[in-house]
This record gives sequence, structure tokens and C-alpha cells, in this order.
Amino acid sequence: MSQLRRALAISWKDIESYYGKPPLITWGLLFPAVLILSVYVKDPATYLDIAPGVIAMTLLFGNTSMAAIVVTFEKRAGTFQRLLLAPLALRTLILGKAASASAYGMATALALSLGLKVVLGMPVVNPPLFAAGLVLGAGCFSLLGLAAAVMVREVFEAMTLMNFFRFPILFVSGVFMPLAQLPPWLKPVALASPLTYVVELLHLGVTGRSTWAGPAVSILAGLLFLLASGVLAEALFRRRAYA
Amino acid sequence: MPSTPAIAVSGLSKSFGSLQALREVKFAVGRGEIFAYLGPNGAGKTTTIRILAGLLPRDAGEVSICGADVAADPVAVKARIGVVPDASNLYPELTCRRNLDYVGELYGLGRRVRTAKVAELLSFFDLADRAGTPFGALSRGLKRRLTIAAALVHDPEVVFLDEPTSGLDVPSARALRERIRTINRQGATVFLTTHNLQEAEALSQRVLILIRGRVAAQGTPGEIRQQVQRYNLLVVTFSSTSEIEAARLLRACPAVLQATPRNGAWHLEVTEAHAALEQVVAFAGGEGVRISGINTLTASLEDAFMSLLTEGGAKGGARA
Repeated sequence: MSQLRRALAISWKDIESYYGKPPLITWGLLFPAVLILSVYVKDPATYLDIAPGVIAMTLLFGNTSMAAIVVTFEKRAGTFQRLLLAPLALRTLILGKAASASAYGMATALALSLGLKVVLGMPVVNPPLFAAGLVLGAGCFSLLGLAAAVMVREVFEAMTLMNFFRFPILFVSGVFMPLAQLPPWLKPVALASPLTYVVELLHLGVTGRSTWAGPAVSILAGLLFLLASGVLAEALFRRRAYA
Repeated sequence: MPSTPAIAVSGLSKSFGSLQALREVKFAVGRGEIFAYLGPNGAGKTTTIRILAGLLPRDAGEVSICGADVAADPVAVKARIGVVPDASNLYPELTCRRNLDYVGELYGLGRRVRTAKVAELLSFFDLADRAGTPFGALSRGLKRRLTIAAALVHDPEVVFLDEPTSGLDVPSARALRERIRTINRQGATVFLTTHNLQEAEALSQRVLILIRGRVAAQGTPGEIRQQVQRYNLLVVTFSSTSEIEAARLLRACPAVLQATPRNGAWHLEVTEAHAALEQVVAFAGGEGVRISGINTLTASLEDAFMSLLTEGGAKGGARA
């Protein structure tokens, strides 16, 4: 319980220091909003095909980037050492950092969704599945961002490292193109991407229609990816956090 | 007071690739002691602190803080120590008060305890009027004070201070040294690294000198001086120095090993000051000259340090 309170303190301080700043929130909203609006302007009937994927993409880029930026920034500034000197289990530290990055990602995605609902009338027919997509995606991507951050010293190195992973999965996870249209040899790659299941859950939440897997498989896979990301982050923190 | 030492280290070794940073380091620090850990740049001082603070794994050896092994139970050990690194590790965007409060949260202190402790520390370090100032806007000296305050939020049993007065002006450094004494008087064991040997001598009860990762000497400052001081130095001024011949003086005074005239006085290297004094007084009487001044010079900690540092330095150790 005491460690949980400390994790919450870390999260709250990060929100206060970094995530709560208006420019950061605006930065997270502008790009996906413009992308969806440009699709809407071109063809108002098809924007719902892309909106869940773009919200998932917002989570992917927002969470991995911000989690990595905060940790590499603190490592450079020496303030990360303050956390390592405190009586914190590594899991507490990871939980605290991931929770604040996740809160930022979910807040940005929710604000984007709310904007789309108000401006374009985007429906959310299944809010629990939509919320599950946001929570699982935000948690998983934040943990992956932390794992990348602890491996490197500079922010640009973290971004480069993550781009090897982020851009390829963007094109195989159903963000812009339904999985059914992927060539058969790419489908196994899609199944190995956490983004695939987040996109599916958000689709289910927004439209109520499954594009391929259905809610049970997507939630289970999302949980497994969340767990795997946590294990990876903890293993890398154990090896590299003190370097 | 518990009987286990505050810090017990034995056989501590650490390498970075081919560089052996620490070799079989062994020392113990008693509870309530101020212990100075000295050495030139690259001697392994910060590496030792990082290992003791649980920031770096060791290659070999035993390390115990208040009876607990930092590698086996890092969370428990970290709760009992406060570490002040040589560079600041506080958050520039947070105010002084919020920085201390946040550190208190990391140590699991309740809100009421935190509030009281933060107010107490801000007052103790003369920072109460800067409580609402962001840490990043403080001067170097004030930053140093707040960094030390942050290490004390949880009332640690052992405080590690890495170069605490480095870069501070004389009044700030002196005030900080007085605060370190107060922290120690309040019960904390202080483990101090510094390049300022006068500071180490003035503050600490015991000193360890680390050279190239090995313990070169340890003990009280007096014991360290004794280790390198092979003789005492007497400076004797006769009423008529020109009439004294070194050979005659040495013959008459067996306790004097060497006699050198310097700046109107005789610098005498002696084995035993008391016997030498008696012999010199008798010699002066025999020569018909008066003694107008006698001073004894002893090696400083800095002399001892330099002597240990330079090969064969012990031979030329005695200076004021």
C-alpha cells in the first residue's frame, strides 16, 4: 500500500511538471484532429473507418513519446537519480511513470474523441469496450516508451529506437487499412502487434462492429501485451536504470 | 544506540571494464561519527558512495548499512540513508517547498509529518523566505542547501555528502559546515567526501584516504599525520644565528637528525621533541647564545595526503 501511494506521488508530480502543461495537450490533439478532419472533408461517409485507428495512433505516439521523453529528460537532468535513491521498488517507479503517461494519453484521446463527437457527431456505441481500448493501449504503449527510454541517454535516441517499431506496426495494425485487405504474409505480423487489438477495441467501441477478432480475443490479447510490456520494462530497468 | 556500525565495508571491489576502481576496500564507520573519505580525482570515492547508496552493484565484498546489506534489501537500506550527490538532483520547475514535500512522499511520510518536516528544514537551512521559489531560480549556494535538506526529509540514520561545499563561497561553505556539525549532533552518522582537507580535518572524527581504489591510510586525522610523519620539526631562532655551525649543533644534540638554517632560524628535524629541546638549550648555553624563539611544526592532513599520494612522499612530510 505504501509503495502504491509512492507510485501515485510520482504520477501526480509528473502530471504537475510535464503532462498538465497546455502546450503538451494541444500538441497531442492537433495532429490527429487535423488528420481525421481531412478525411472527413474528402468523404464524410468514411471518416468512421479511420477515426478509431487515428485515436489508437494518438495513444501509440503520445504515450511512447511522452513516457520516453520524461525519463530521458530526467536522466539528463539528474533528477531520475532522486527516484533511484528513494526507497522505491523498481515496479513502483515503473508504475508511477507509466500511470502518468497513460493518464496523459487517455486524456488526449478522450479529448480528441469528445471533439469528434461534438464536431462530427462521432458515436460511441459501446463505451466499456472503447474505454478498455484506451486503458490497455495507453498502459501498453507507456510501458514500451519507458523500456525504450531506459536503454538510451538522449531523447532523439529513444525516438529513433521506437520509430523502428512504431511506423511498421502503424501500417499492419488496421489503422489505415482493414486487416482483411492485408496480404496473407503480413497477417502474422499484424497479430503480433499490440496496436491491432487496440484498434479493434476502439472500432468495437465507436461503431459496434468487429473488423476481425471480436471483443474477447482483443481484450485478452491486450492484457497479454500489457503484461509483456510490463515484464520487458521491468527487466530493462533492472539492467539499465542504474547505468 | 545499536551496536552494529553505521557502515561496514570489507573486501569491496569494483571494476569498469579493465579499470579497477576499488580494490579490497575495508572500513567501518561508527554510529554518530563524521567520517571523511578522501582521495584525488578518480580514486573511487563516488563509486564507493554509489555502491553504498544502492545505485551501483559491487563485484565483490561485503557492504552493510546499519546492519543490512544494500544489495539484498535496497528498499530497507535506502529508507535509512540520505544521499547528497555532488550535482543537484532536485526538480528545477518545482518550488523549494514542493521539492521537499515530494521527496517526503517518496519516502512514504504522511502529509502532517511532511508539512512539519518541510517547514523545519526550510527554516534550518534559512530557506523559509524562498519556499515558493522554483529550485531552478536559486543561486548555487541555495541549491546546495536545498539538496542537502532534501536528503534529510526522512531523518536518515546515515547521511552521505559528496563534496558538500564544492563551488561555494567562503561564508556559505562555513555556514554549511556548521549545519553538518548540527546534523551530526542530532544523531546522524555523516559520511563525507571532499577535496578540502582542512574541511575534512575540521569536521571529521576519522579519515580514510583512498588512492587508486586502495585504502592508503585510515584513522583519526592525528593518526594519519603520525603515519606519514617520520620526525618532528623544531624551528629555533638563536640571538646570533651566524655563529652557529650545523656540525657542532648536530654533535651536541643527538636527538637532532638534521639542521638547516632558513630565513634567520634553524629548522631542526628531531626524533623526539622534548629531548631535542633540552639538548638545544644546553647547546645554546655552551655556545654563549640566547634562544629568542622556538616553534614546533607538525604535519597537516594535507601534508599527509600529499605524502601518501606521491611516491616516497613520507620522507619530506613535515610542514606547518
